Amino acid sequence: MKLKPNNAADAKENSTKNMTRRQFMGAIGHTASGMAVAGGLVMVYKFLYPNVLLEIPSRFKIASINSLQPGSHVFEPEHRVFAFHDTRGYFFALSAVCTHLGCTVAWKSEGITGHKEGIFLCPCHGSEFTKEGDVIRGPARRHLDRYHMAVDEGQLIVDTSETVNTIEDMILKV
Amino acid sequence: MKIIQRIMQSKPWRSVFRTALPIKTNLDRSLVMFNSLALHIQPVKVRERAIRFSYTFYLGMISFFLFMVLVVTGILLMLYYQPAIPNAYENMKDLQYVVSSGIFLRNLHRWAAHLMVISVFLHMLRVFFAGAYRPPREFNWVIGVLLLLLTLLLSYTGYLLPYDQLAYWAVTVGSNIVKYVPIIGKNIRFVLLGGNTIGEYTLVRFYVLHCVVLPLFITSLIALHFWRIRKDGGLY
Repeated sequence: MKLKPNNAADAKENSTKNMTRRQFMGAIGHTASGMAVAGGLVMVYKFLYPNVLLEIPSRFKIASINSLQPGSHVFEPEHRVFAFHDTRGYFFALSAVCTHLGCTVAWKSEGITGHKEGIFLCPCHGSEFTKEGDVIRGPARRHLDRYHMAVDEGQLIVDTSETVNTIEDMILKV
Repeated sequence: MKIIQRIMQSKPWRSVFRTALPIKTNLDRSLVMFNSLALHIQPVKVRERAIRFSYTFYLGMISFFLFMVLVVTGILLMLYYQPAIPNAYENMKDLQYVVSSGIFLRNLHRWAAHLMVISVFLHMLRVFFAGAYRPPREFNWVIGVLLLLLTLLLSYTGYLLPYDQLAYWAVTVGSNIVKYVPIIGKNIRFVLLGGNTIGEYTLVRFYVLHCVVLPLFITSLIALHFWRIRKDGGLY
């Protein structure tokens, strides 16, 4: 059969049924180039994703049980974590990272109307949280991260890589 | 004048500027533009009203001039700056108090950056209200939007480099906005910062973006933007 390369319909049919040597080599070349580019992109993405981080460990000692008096709290600025010893006798720990855009919230012990026990106030965009971390006022929409503390040889241990959802899970009774 | 004539007739000169001498007709004059890499970005003919100040307020040219100021001062600032902790902050303070003219160059860089954001934005307004985004200039409008984005990204990445409280928290807030991108937001933030919080890797990444990657993109797009003005029929 005589090939008619100028006829578009014929050429198309030809490419699906009878591949010419040139088309075959071209397809191999394009596939190989495409795979090389895709592989390169994956490599670049993996390269940009650091395997070792120069960050502080997530598990740390925040205070000793005896030094944290009832009604007082400590703030650990490196990990940005608050630990409270409630007057009702239990301990709990909260992240100070605002859930809106990540600024550090400040503890206001004088509180506001309806929240006399004190509130957390974010300096960046004015979000307010209760002592237990629930949102009073936006723009933040989610409660502060809550941690369940562990006790090890009289020390209160926080692991910022493990959060709990409810206030009940957060509370530590000793 | 004779010396100039002789230089222009000399072989080395002729090897650089190929337009045949003497330049007499309008065609010759336009060939001078066509044959030069620097000048060919200009249109061969310009309508008189298009170069009046009240027509464009020269906002595009002002933006470009500010960009050149930023390149020159930026290169000089790089000579005294190390993107490391705690060197970055100390270098910035040294530039202010120890290096001769350091504070002048730093402030020039800072003010030019602020002014460039303003002038690029005003330039966009001018183009919008003149209707200069309409065909055949619609693609140049798209390039212009990309240039505005690159200008803002350059400002944002440069903001971290002094590594003071203002820089740290501005970039904390900015990178947390990235986290709100659906599905891949957290990954983008992790790759951008090189970690979960701002640190050594973040500073180097922002430095490379600010001094190499973004300037390369913006320079290429500026050249394309200018060339398109000519190809789309001059200023509108």
